[in-house]
Amino acid sequence: MTIAPPVVRTAPSTASRGGGSGSVSWMAWPALVAFTIFGILPLFGVLALSFTSWNGISPELSLTGLDSWKTVLSDPGLPHAIWVTFLIMALSWLAQTPLSILLGVFIAAHKRYRTVLAVLFFIPLLLSQAAIAITYKMLLDPNFGLGASLGVEFLQQDWLGDSTLAVGVVIFVVSWQWIPFHSLIYQGGIRQIPASMYEAAEIDGAGRIRQFFSITLPQLKYTIITSSTLMVVGSLTFFDLIWVLTAGGPGDATRALAVDMYVTGFRSNLMGPASAIAVILVLVGLGLALLLRRLGGRDASQSQLEGA
Amino acid sequence: MTTVLDTRAPGRSAKVPPPSGSRRSKLSQLNWAGGLAGWLWLLIVVIPIYWIVITSFKAQADYYGTNPLAPPASPTLENYRFVLENHFVRYFFNSVIVTLGSIIPAVAVSFMAAYAIVRGSAVSRFLRTANAIFLLGLAIPLQAVIIPVYLIIIKLEMYDTLGAIILPSIAFAIPLSVLVLSNFIRDVPKELFESMRMDGATEWGTLWRLALPLTRPALVTVTIYQGLQVWNGFLLPLILTQSPEQRTLPLALASFQGQYSVNIPAVLASVVLTTLPILTLYIIGRRQLLSGLTAGFGK
Amino acid sequence: MKRRNFLSLSAGAAAATGLAACGKSGPGDSSSGGGSGDKDAAGYWFLSGPPGEPIRQGAVDRFNKANSANQIKVTAIQNDAYKDKLKTSLGAGQAPSIIWGWGGGGLKSYVDAGQVDDLTDWFGQNAAVKDRLFKASFGPATIDKKIYAMPCETVQPIVMLYNKEAFEKAGVAAPPQTWAELMSILPKFNEKGIAPFSLGGQSRWTNMMWLEFLFDRIGGPEVMDAVYGGQKDAWNNPAAIDALTKTQELVNAKGFIKGFSSITADSNADQALLYRGKAAMELHGSWSYGIIKAEGGNFIKDGKLGFFNFPAVDGGKGDPTNTYGNAGQYLSIYSKASEHQKETAKKFFTSLLDDTEQQGWIETGGVPIVQDAKAKLAASPDAEFLNFVFDVSSKAAGFGQSWDQALSPSSAETLLDNIAKLFQLQVTPQQFATNMNAVIGK
Repeated sequence: MTIAPPVVRTAPSTASRGGGSGSVSWMAWPALVAFTIFGILPLFGVLALSFTSWNGISPELSLTGLDSWKTVLSDPGLPHAIWVTFLIMALSWLAQTPLSILLGVFIAAHKRYRTVLAVLFFIPLLLSQAAIAITYKMLLDPNFGLGASLGVEFLQQDWLGDSTLAVGVVIFVVSWQWIPFHSLIYQGGIRQIPASMYEAAEIDGAGRIRQFFSITLPQLKYTIITSSTLMVVGSLTFFDLIWVLTAGGPGDATRALAVDMYVTGFRSNLMGPASAIAVILVLVGLGLALLLRRLGGRDASQSQLEGA
Repeated sequence: MTTVLDTRAPGRSAKVPPPSGSRRSKLSQLNWAGGLAGWLWLLIVVIPIYWIVITSFKAQADYYGTNPLAPPASPTLENYRFVLENHFVRYFFNSVIVTLGSIIPAVAVSFMAAYAIVRGSAVSRFLRTANAIFLLGLAIPLQAVIIPVYLIIIKLEMYDTLGAIILPSIAFAIPLSVLVLSNFIRDVPKELFESMRMDGATEWGTLWRLALPLTRPALVTVTIYQGLQVWNGFLLPLILTQSPEQRTLPLALASFQGQYSVNIPAVLASVVLTTLPILTLYIIGRRQLLSGLTAGFGK
Repeated sequence: MKRRNFLSLSAGAAAATGLAACGKSGPGDSSSGGGSGDKDAAGYWFLSGPPGEPIRQGAVDRFNKANSANQIKVTAIQNDAYKDKLKTSLGAGQAPSIIWGWGGGGLKSYVDAGQVDDLTDWFGQNAAVKDRLFKASFGPATIDKKIYAMPCETVQPIVMLYNKEAFEKAGVAAPPQTWAELMSILPKFNEKGIAPFSLGGQSRWTNMMWLEFLFDRIGGPEVMDAVYGGQKDAWNNPAAIDALTKTQELVNAKGFIKGFSSITADSNADQALLYRGKAAMELHGSWSYGIIKAEGGNFIKDGKLGFFNFPAVDGGKGDPTNTYGNAGQYLSIYSKASEHQKETAKKFFTSLLDDTEQQGWIETGGVPIVQDAKAKLAASPDAEFLNFVFDVSSKAAGFGQSWDQALSPSSAETLLDNIAKLFQLQVTPQQFATNMNAVIGK
């Protein structure tokens, strides 16, 4: 990963001006401009739409004040969708994090056969969600899938037809795809832990399990934060895989907020309420980001350029 | 925080032998649980992949006639031929262009913004506002904003170009990248920034020579994560392009799904073809990738 | 209540960056033209993939060749993706000139939004175009007695398919003629380890077909007409409750293959169950014949596939010749298309379903919606099935439209959810009716 070289060449000239603490504000501009045009502007459009009864098709729309919001907030589907969203978020975090760390430890070791395994582990990451969904739908088919093929009764469940199992399938498939990524990050994190720490612990007579909990885990703190941020925030807008796998079903068992928004807006043609759901989703994301920051033990306004 | 300074101290780096020394074997000893997880996970990963590969060599008509896990009795390359004849190579390169074209600028501007936010938020109201704006963008559901995005692209007269996919992809990669990178940059000890300042380095120089190497693992992480999002993105290419010349791989995959049914072997053949080049890249560049994830500073 | 243009609202924010107001070169109308002489070609998006894509493409190619001044520029898009892309483009005011669709409720929402042209007068002037097509095909194209779409392609009634071999094994001589007979033969199949009916229940609309027929056979089309008409508590009709109860009886009697809620229709696993002999019968759209032919090996060639119309229900009010399904596919003209594009579209409509196109559909196991198609069917190797489909369609006293197409999109979603729950026995017939009553007229 390199930053565009032409810009680099300007660095010395700036440096020659001497002063060490010039304004840094300009560095935020490119990102801000790009994001404002394609993120914030459309977001305002969505906010505006949440006060209308637009059907997504008509060239005209009528302002209906808070009607959409009232519809959405009084719909029992909303708390359910929020519940499903957080359920999937929490369960997939719980499933992925310990496994990713363990796998990270496993493949961090320099053994040739594990390198081969690491390559195999990596593959699910490269498959598109549509491909993954097709694969799993076929493998979970009660008559022509894995269960029937291996003759294992346990695998011949009503995987996508039973509410609890369907949630389980979504969590499993999400984990299947993303664990390789997170264990890759952890592998990097683990290789950074100085061996001397383990040597010291060994002299102190600490067992392997204690070493893991007193050295490996604390040392991985920042890696865990990074990986968790990606998992948690990423799961909010998780749509494609759920959609192609269960379409939010059976019933509304896997209808997370993003799916709910899509169904409301694009299937039921209720763009007003769908926009309100989208705004709620954005607010949930904001809340989570602030929460994650607090968990990271840092104050948002803290910065290192004090008094510069 | 102090370990950071420690590892960079000359004494320590001399004491610790370069990787693959004794500490590796120590590490491997203490991960029996990891070993168990590793082998179990291998099974879970390999079965679907095995299924994908063997099915891609089956004729569509044979699929339901055979045990799904049995290798094809008469393997056929028909599916691959079919996929390649359907402009697979062009779609592949479109996807490469879109992914690289989005991710390199996105991570670059995000990194700059994250640096600015960490360094300047205390004194700059503008940067605090900018940060708040980025946080707002973390969970924008793409489906919700797709119509306004579409209108903007048409306004910019970019409809049906690869740029139409690239620009919004950059924008939507920014919030999460800024969040992750700024969290990481914030961990760089103040003393290091201070000493850079003493040496008369500009902010740009500090970003380039201090922040960049120290946050390389986070940069690599974010790049891979966002790269995968763009690579597999479906909605933006679907809505913002139209002609076959501008199609990306996920769209091409959808074209094997007919009105009433899916040509499963063909879909899987294109999955295999899509995966192979990247997998090869990964195998070749694995060491670099890993050192990217570990370099910088030991924590 | 103020009416505003969507563009002024959402792009209102865009004004700041000088992006406001709607542009000229829409994606639907191709501005790039191409070298063929017509700078204002009409855009036409249709569904990709087999069996329809090559036939649709062929029709356009022949038209473009014959009309150098009127060109059509096509884009083939996969089914689900098509719905999203079309909706986005309509919402943004940038749809293609020719809009491919399913008619019914979806078409009605375009009509209500003023997005498609009224073609009633044009059909009045071009009686020949209208008269050669099935009358039933115009049902879903007609909203408030006006025609808003050109019917095209094939008629696809929903029919019962069965595996003759499975019938032999179970000792069932003939397909059931009545509902009571149907219920009575279920144990015979189950005893032999054969599921009586295959069902791709994960797709939900597959379950819906059962309800469509049961409602119609028991209470006649009036039951659903009351729902469409917005009559209060229309789902409480005793015929409706009876049909819902019978459905659950069938589920309870192990009428459907185990785990049907996990079987998806688009993977064709439901047809595979039938031709692999794991299930004896299936209620499905006539297009599944083409799928079985392509994937089922020699199943059809060996004469193992049988078909019959949905059985009558004893004491039912509905005409047992009534059928359900797609009476055709539909092409509408986008109201914002240029005059030239509209003219191109109409010209194109008159060129549709020529002999070559009809032949193409027949080869896929489809019956073109042309009155005199019957003569062409005889020459096909699939004549037996094609004639059956032709007769079911043309002799039907009523050709009902798929509920999810006929209802408004928002009630259709509620319906599909409740149908899934009904088949899972998670709601009682009365709860189903209550849930559906809540969305009548919405």
